[in-house]
Amino acid sequence: MIDKQVLKEVLDAALAKGGDFADIFIENKQTTGIRCEAGKIERVQSGLDIGAGIRVLSGDSTAYAYTNDLSRKGLVGAAGIVSHAVQGNKKEVNLDLRTVKSPVNFSFKERPEDVPAGRKVKVVEAADQAARAVDNEQIKQVIVGYGDVVQKVIIANSAGEYVADERIRTRLLVQAVAASGPVIQTGIEAVGSLCGFELFENYQPEQVAAGAAQRAVEMLKARPAPAGRMPVVMAAEAGGTMIHEACGHGLEADLVQKDISVYAGKKGQKVASPEVTVVDDATIDNRYGSYRFDDEGVPARSVNLIEAGVLTDFLYDRLTAAKDGRQSNGHGRRESYQHKPIPRMGNTYIAPGKTDPQKIIRETKNGLLVKKMGGGQVNTTTGDFVFDVVEGYLIEDGEIGPMVRGATLTGNGPEVLQIVEMVGSDLGFTIGTCGKDGQGMPVSDAQPTMAIKELVVGGTGHGGTNGKIRRI
Amino acid sequence: MERESIFVDIAETAVRKAVRSGAQMAEVFVSKSSQLNIEVRGGSVDTMKLAEDRGMGLRVFRDNRTGFAFSTDLSNRGIEEAVKQALANCLNASDDPYLRLPPPGPAYPELDLYDPDIKGATVEQKISLAKSMEEAARSYDPRVKVIESSTYQDGEGLVTIVNSLGMKLTYRGAYCGIYLALAAGEGNDSQTGFALDFGLKFNRLKPEAVGKDAARRAVRMLGAVPVSTRKVPVILDPYVAAGFLGLIGPALTGDAVQKGRSLFAGKTGTRVASEKVTIIDDGALPGGIASAPFDGEGVPTSRSMLIEGGILKGYLYNTYSAARDGVQSTGNGVRSSFKGTPEVGTTNFFIEAGATPVEKLVKEVADGLYITEVMGMHTANPISGDFSVGVAGLLIKDGDFDAPVRGMAMGGNIIELLAGIDAVGDDLKFFGGSGAPTLRVTGLTTSGQ
Repeated sequence: MIDKQVLKEVLDAALAKGGDFADIFIENKQTTGIRCEAGKIERVQSGLDIGAGIRVLSGDSTAYAYTNDLSRKGLVGAAGIVSHAVQGNKKEVNLDLRTVKSPVNFSFKERPEDVPAGRKVKVVEAADQAARAVDNEQIKQVIVGYGDVVQKVIIANSAGEYVADERIRTRLLVQAVAASGPVIQTGIEAVGSLCGFELFENYQPEQVAAGAAQRAVEMLKARPAPAGRMPVVMAAEAGGTMIHEACGHGLEADLVQKDISVYAGKKGQKVASPEVTVVDDATIDNRYGSYRFDDEGVPARSVNLIEAGVLTDFLYDRLTAAKDGRQSNGHGRRESYQHKPIPRMGNTYIAPGKTDPQKIIRETKNGLLVKKMGGGQVNTTTGDFVFDVVEGYLIEDGEIGPMVRGATLTGNGPEVLQIVEMVGSDLGFTIGTCGKDGQGMPVSDAQPTMAIKELVVGGTGHGGTNGKIRRI
Repeated sequence: MERESIFVDIAETAVRKAVRSGAQMAEVFVSKSSQLNIEVRGGSVDTMKLAEDRGMGLRVFRDNRTGFAFSTDLSNRGIEEAVKQALANCLNASDDPYLRLPPPGPAYPELDLYDPDIKGATVEQKISLAKSMEEAARSYDPRVKVIESSTYQDGEGLVTIVNSLGMKLTYRGAYCGIYLALAAGEGNDSQTGFALDFGLKFNRLKPEAVGKDAARRAVRMLGAVPVSTRKVPVILDPYVAAGFLGLIGPALTGDAVQKGRSLFAGKTGTRVASEKVTIIDDGALPGGIASAPFDGEGVPTSRSMLIEGGILKGYLYNTYSAARDGVQSTGNGVRSSFKGTPEVGTTNFFIEAGATPVEKLVKEVADGLYITEVMGMHTANPISGDFSVGVAGLLIKDGDFDAPVRGMAMGGNIIELLAGIDAVGDDLKFFGGSGAPTLRVTGLTTSGQ
């Protein structure tokens, strides 16, 4: 894409007035998007976005500029702009720009640009029809979205590192709307991987769609969720929203260093039940949050964050690592060339334990079973988090009881992690787009089946008796 | 400042190439924007970001089908590639007799959207705005411990739309704003607060007020704990009320109604909210941050009365959805950027101010909850209207604010919430494009211990 000689010139210009570190991130992103609603292929879109972001770090401060102009003049000009934010003397850099190797490799079988748009449209149509076929009467609307991204990046920095990488991601999202009388409910299923069109070898679009439609239809019959404090079991297939919110964000080093994380200053301390081990591993084969290099050119690796309840590490990018006098552990990510890298999660999960998942439900006796989680949010300063239950059931006498709707779980990260009572031997992943500082990142998260002693369930059912679930 | 004509030339070239390559109609949207972002922490600049961005989005129409492509490559080669892609995409789309482009509008609102003071102010002046906001927060209360970010931001944009029906439009706009997020601490307890002020005039930014407001929001939450589940009147502060308003935006679009995913389908002329509630979208609102003379497909913006005194008056439309309903576009074909197609969306979208002073709203409540923070609003379901969110705020006891509470959950349906509004404050406040006054609502359950 860009000659190494030009990159050297740019880095040199960026450090013309001093600074500790400079880098350039060049991106070429090709996207396809297809949307079907009301049985019609409404939108078929493709796009090309090319640009470069240039950064200079000087002490605690960051100067950043980006441009769509990738000519030598455009890039050196942008480097000149960032250099002016620093006040010091020219830093001599002697660059040979060595290519950095990554220990992991991902293969892409069917590149999106080699797949004709017609085949992509067929996947969307198949999903649309399968969702409608679940219940022609009650399914009122189906929305199917297909997207693929081919992102080529070049990263070069004043430490003499050069990385050229490519990320290909493909995803499919199906949303079904069911109605019966005045009741409207929706079901959503999404699949996505760091892979090309071969995504649909692993996931049948029809199956994904039917799953969304079935949930929408079943939800019509669900009763309002109870409100109050009660034991909660989260099934493995519920996904990892809880761990993402309850501790993932709080372990990002920028928040820790700004002292707006409840986990600040707790490294080496017990922050969770001994049953709990939390890992972020961006090197897992083709997961949605996987990558070979992060967006600062640091090779990805597996990072143990909590080991048997003890906080062992945070998620670092280069800037936060430098502040702590250590190396980045490969979690500096950015949405695009328009954004500066910040510490982000990749694939975050609670490691499986030894308990049989069935036993966990049996032993919980009474409470709420979360079969699928939706989105969530956390206030990292207090640790308070909330997430949405999109498929939940009452547990009655150790058996799975009736389906409930409209439940949201709220809790406090460190408190909840301490009262994890049982951890199952299974593991289930979900994908998501995580938002932080206005940047959306593809991530995945996972957990085994887990029993939590008590969480606040915010349902719409009015149970009385001070909000506690009644034990029969 | 680049000459506007460069982008008109690019757009005209692209439209011409598209028509020559087989498009029956074509439209090009070109935008150029620049942005400055300054983040201050502890009295010095933490991050300075300068951005420049330009690109085009091309829509082509052929045989009742449409295709779209965008590109940041505005060279002749880039334009030709985008034309090729858009036409190929067009082939794969479904046919639809309502697809069309709007002709040029008869007249466009005249708006004051470009304040030269924003560009005229020095970077040092902008840095000092962020610094003084931080200082105001720290001097408000010694318990303000951490400044998460004290940010000044501005931007300007030049938008050009050209279509094959003879439309050729351009406008320039600029905005500026400040944002403060912080945490207050006492003992082991830590609570967050934030405030913001975005607008079109540089000299109207009020860093001291924003600093104090953010500090007050955090400090008053110190010592917050969950309380028992209760069904009491709740008062939503303007920020929280605007968040709930955001939930019904999609349901008020003609698009959602036509596709059977609107709560308001088939309800025009009927009561959908308490009589205290009036909801408006106004793309030409003087001083509105989302104001523009025309929307993302060149249709003049306008003021749409959506709900008046609780009665549903109508929906928002772009050109396509208006054609389906046989009505005029309301000028609500909104584009996220040159990378997106013009979809029906809100502009300056707000609940009209009522007559009741906020103090009176609180005075009348013997036992209630004043909600200042909501978590998980994005998990609410805009189609069914069901929401269940985490909330925090202050208890109200005998007409006065009492102890802070957090870690509570509040669930319900937006229709119930709209029906339960029994008083509307006189303090309409905008947060970006959406605005609301303080609202008092009865009939919601808040769950806790």
